[in-house]
Amino acid sequence: MTTDTIPRAAAGPSRPRWLSIVGILGVIALGFTVWLGLWITPPDQVQGNLARLLYIHPPIATVALYWAGGVAAASSLLYLWPRTRSLFWDRLAASAVEVGAVFSALTLVTGSLWGRPAWGVWWTWDARLTSTALLLLLELGYMALRRVPADAAIRARRCAVAALLVAVDVPIVHFSVDWWQTLHQGGTVLDPGFHLHVHGSMAWTFLLGFIAFSLLFVWLLGVRYQVEVLQDEVGDQELDVSLAERWSEGTELVGVGADTSGAPDGGGT
Amino acid sequence: MGMDYVDAGYIAALVTVLVYGIGLGLRRRRWERAAKVADPATPVTPGGRS
Amino acid sequence: MWRDAVLVAGKDLRIEARSRVGLWQVVPFAVLVLILVSFAIGPDTGPLRHAAPGIFWIAVLFSTVLSIQRSVAIESGEGTRDGLRLSGIDPAGIFLGKAAAVALQLLILQIVLWAGVTFLFDVRVHVIWLAVLASLLATVGLACAGVLYGALSSGLRVRDTLLPLLVLPVLAPVLLAGSKAWQASLSGNAGSGTEWLRILIPFAVIYLVIGIVLYGPLQEAT
Repeated sequence: MTTDTIPRAAAGPSRPRWLSIVGILGVIALGFTVWLGLWITPPDQVQGNLARLLYIHPPIATVALYWAGGVAAASSLLYLWPRTRSLFWDRLAASAVEVGAVFSALTLVTGSLWGRPAWGVWWTWDARLTSTALLLLLELGYMALRRVPADAAIRARRCAVAALLVAVDVPIVHFSVDWWQTLHQGGTVLDPGFHLHVHGSMAWTFLLGFIAFSLLFVWLLGVRYQVEVLQDEVGDQELDVSLAERWSEGTELVGVGADTSGAPDGGGT
Repeated sequence: MGMDYVDAGYIAALVTVLVYGIGLGLRRRRWERAAKVADPATPVTPGGRS
Repeated sequence: MWRDAVLVAGKDLRIEARSRVGLWQVVPFAVLVLILVSFAIGPDTGPLRHAAPGIFWIAVLFSTVLSIQRSVAIESGEGTRDGLRLSGIDPAGIFLGKAAAVALQLLILQIVLWAGVTFLFDVRVHVIWLAVLASLLATVGLACAGVLYGALSSGLRVRDTLLPLLVLPVLAPVLLAGSKAWQASLSGNAGSGTEWLRILIPFAVIYLVIGIVLYGPLQEAT
């Protein structure tokens, strides 16, 4: 049968142990980041308590833009490259885009929660803000495209092209908005402001935030990937079952009788 | 000043990661069950279900 | 490749010339956008004049989506795509041809919109070469990116709702750079306007190249 082109793991992928360990470590690291960030570190000399948001906002943004974006772009490219074509890359890209969308949204939320007290506005047409917002919309578009039912190989190729186009577009958006700002206002309002005089516990907290969110990203990506595999698998099996049912209806109509030996591969195994 | 915003930021981050993570876990479990249902021990044979 | 492109472009344009969908649907729609946005902004000429370049490009962008949908719909008839695919025409040629046909229609549309903007908002283009150059470059970018996304969404049942969501964010830089270049040419400040061509040129070139490379694989996927 044609569906056999998709490698079928036996009854769902096992949950690899390293993934659970990464998840647990991520949660612990996040807990420590929050504890250190909110209670242990001193307020910053310039920004006061607001600086505490910088322990989580840059790590989240890094995950959204670089980790998720990088994985999605790289694995889409690897899928399109004939030598490395495998549904593994397609599923990985899809997982990265979804996790990336969550982190992009979170980047915008934490960013404007910082912007409101720091600059007095929720939103400013800064290059990073604007391109992150567009990235989120593009990711939603990719997810919408992916929801359209299609043959796995066709969907994979379509989505890989879409992901690559997004990867090309976001730098252009960033560049053009950056230009827009600098030509328009003569320098941005928000001197990006991360000139923390980092020392001691603040530096450690900052670093820990990066580690925590990166670990959580790996864990979420892994679980999302498993969901993707399971979804495909169930979809195939349902297709097999319905095909088998169709087939049996057909044979009954023709009157060949319910001969079991001629079933197209059966449903399982 | 600004502690409300900081708290809100942390809460948003924690809640989002938590909700999405748990949601993913539940989705995985649901699909695992679906995979078991759709992949019964006895192979589906034509006419066998009627 | 070029010969194929001319063939495909000729075919699309002949179909347009006979069906007149572009003339009787897309152009009135674009003018409608001009009028609707003016309603939203208000009757004062000051703000309207200020917003004129932006309104112009918004109208162009929305009409691009319509033109792309039309360009895809031409191929959506029973077996048309297979016919095109099996005809042995180079995929890059098909891409270039369809993009050229869309680009030509968009240029005609922009001439109408130009007249509309002049008439409705009482603005004058002072630096004509800059406005024309910006429009030409933007049109190449819009047509290439649009046809690429059209191919991506072709054959999908939800094509009409999905295409705008996919393509409009991608076209955002053209809106930005096009509006700024037009603003400069309206105010007669050519210097700041030419800066924006440096975004329109890479955009056009990048999507032209990507289209030529990826249109083949994409066609197989629909």
